[in-house]
Amino acid sequence: MKRLFLLAIGFLFLITFAASGCIDDVVSPSPGVEVISACVTCHTDKEVLQELAVEEEEEESEATTGEG
Amino acid sequence: MPPLEAWEKVYIDGEDFLEDTHNKMGCVVCHSGDNTAEDMESAHIGLIADPSEDNCNTCHREIFEKNETSLHTTLSGFISALEARGGNLEEGSPLATAFENHCQQCHLSCGQCHVSRPDEAGGGFLSGHEFKSTPNMKNNCVACHGSRVGDEFLGENEGVPKDVHRKKGMQCSSCHGQELHGSGELAESRYHTTTAVSCTDAGCHDDLYDTADSNPQHEQHLEDLACQVCHAVDYKHCYSCHVSIDEQGIPCRTSEPSVMDFKIGLNPLKSAERPYDYVVLRHVPTCPDECVYYGENLLPDFDAQPTWKYATPHNIQLNTPQNASCDSCHGNAELFLTEEDLRPGEVEANQGVIVPEIPNPSY
Repeated sequence: MKRLFLLAIGFLFLITFAASGCIDDVVSPSPGVEVISACVTCHTDKEVLQELAVEEEEEESEATTGEG
Repeated sequence: MPPLEAWEKVYIDGEDFLEDTHNKMGCVVCHSGDNTAEDMESAHIGLIADPSEDNCNTCHREIFEKNETSLHTTLSGFISALEARGGNLEEGSPLATAFENHCQQCHLSCGQCHVSRPDEAGGGFLSGHEFKSTPNMKNNCVACHGSRVGDEFLGENEGVPKDVHRKKGMQCSSCHGQELHGSGELAESRYHTTTAVSCTDAGCHDDLYDTADSNPQHEQHLEDLACQVCHAVDYKHCYSCHVSIDEQGIPCRTSEPSVMDFKIGLNPLKSAERPYDYVVLRHVPTCPDECVYYGENLLPDFDAQPTWKYATPHNIQLNTPQNASCDSCHGNAELFLTEEDLRPGEVEANQGVIVPEIPNPSY
């Protein structure tokens, strides 16, 4: 009986140990796999940026005088 | 400094940034947004354009913590000056509203020195999102500090030569470095920081005191005159700044045209580091009703601070009109700030800095 109990405990321990390898709370690319970022794809493409970039409206008052 | 077009501000050119440590983390780690989206609008949902405040500290903790109390971050110099004149900057007060509208834009984040031009100067990458450990003189420092210090240093004031240090190829960063990150304690002004640079403590002119006996003017005056008294030339003075909101609801300001002049006065900031009796003074554009748009008498103790302030013009010359001889300065009333130079309404404020008696000629 005691032997069966110890076997069960050992088996449970084995299952727990094996399962922990499946828990992964840090996502990282696998070695050798290149992560393509849409950010870099656009922001390194001059033509795309020229087409899409929007000039922000300047909020400088015409009433301002002097050098500041 | 020519403005950047919209696309230039966000264009990553070259390989340098792509190989940089900062890029290895991935854009969205700092900027949020969605790096898998297929269109700009979707990609930019939740985007943080300037992520300095919540990200730089992850790796640069020590600098970040010091920088939290720096003048560039806190604008404590502005705040001190207003509070010294009795200004109430409690949240929601009229002066606090004025400050938010007209002063807050000078607040800098890490990125606005090390990645981009300052927002106040239009923003945009310095060099394709590269992280620059040393800010760029023209695109960072002078972009904001242009109309006085920048123009002085670069010789942009008509008839006034550039600073000799600039002639030698030096830049802002040649003298100004880590002290810009602050000391970890709030400072009343750039002259009150414990890390401020000085001429004799920058590794260049440290031997002035040891060699004073070889220069009679140094021998006589190293202790009682600031270096600029003998070695600066005409610099800008500003007058009568008033802030308001225009008809379109845009914050605006007006001030009189600046004036080029050179004035020696009494030292308002005497300390162990600045023991001088005489220093050069610059008129600052504050006036009692500068914020009258927001309310009357918002600076009730206006006279508590002079309007002629301790100055360190960045237009240093070896030979100047006032150091040509002893009598070029002594007896030359034009050089000294006296009551006749004060505008009505500023007489009381400047009693502590005007020269009561012009130093006598040597004869």
